[in-house]
Amino acid sequence: MSKTITVEADINAADTRTNLTAQGSVTAPSLVVPAGQTKIKGIIAVASHDGAADDGGALFFLRLGGNAVLGGEQVIIFGGAGNQTVQTGSDAAPNVMIPFMLEDVDIDVRPSDSINIAAEFAGVDIGDSAVIVTLIYGK
Amino acid sequence: MGKLYRTREGAITAVDTKTQLTTVGSETAPGPLLVPAGAKRISMIIAALAADLAVAADGTFFIRLEGPGLPEGPETLAIGAAGTQVATGGSYANPAIKIPLDIPVTVANEILIFAENTGEDVGTEQVGVTLVFD
Repeated sequence: MSKTITVEADINAADTRTNLTAQGSVTAPSLVVPAGQTKIKGIIAVASHDGAADDGGALFFLRLGGNAVLGGEQVIIFGGAGNQTVQTGSDAAPNVMIPFMLEDVDIDVRPSDSINIAAEFAGVDIGDSAVIVTLIYGK
Repeated sequence: MGKLYRTREGAITAVDTKTQLTTVGSETAPGPLLVPAGAKRISMIIAALAADLAVAADGTFFIRLEGPGLPEGPETLAIGAAGTQVATGGSYANPAIKIPLDIPVTVANEILIFAENTGEDVGTEQVGVTLVFD
């Protein structure tokens, strides 16, 4: 049986570790690994950015840590984005990222302990961004 | 043992220049990337590229894996390409790529990750690489 948890946050500065703790209308979803679940089996991660910074180029990555994650913090790159400021009168190109999906993740976790899910963008400021991550637990 | 995920990233600012990836965002000095205890191989590489599109040019990108953690010697992998017609107004957002592999490793030894921009200089690029050990 699979169980899922989805969390999200805005990240508006480069090289800034940001905990993902909200879930839209739910401000503080439980980050306790469900009973009986011993692995992270899948990850879905995706980000968008508004491109409101000139010469921006940054990588998005995920940090999985906390007492529930056995083997220490796991850090996973999941996307990249960049932009130039548009010329006056020009149309801005959209920044649409296809979700990054990682199967057979196989990260050991301890059920009933809390997981910390954080993300960053590294590099040069690309404006404001929004990040959302789903973890799929299993055995 | 489950899989272990280790990441490094860095900026490339010149073409045909071997550049080591040594940071992890807010961690400016994470230290050497050592092969974790219990690991037998690199089973996958996850990589992403972010170019600032500051130059009207076209370039390609690859990474090098080197160091005593790789008993069979260095490896090279193409990870992407970027170009733009005019250096104003470009933008994009791409997911990372996944490359399944089977590269033997030596526990407790270092792996160094480098990246390069080949072809033409397309500005400043950020490259990030996750090594998946099992």
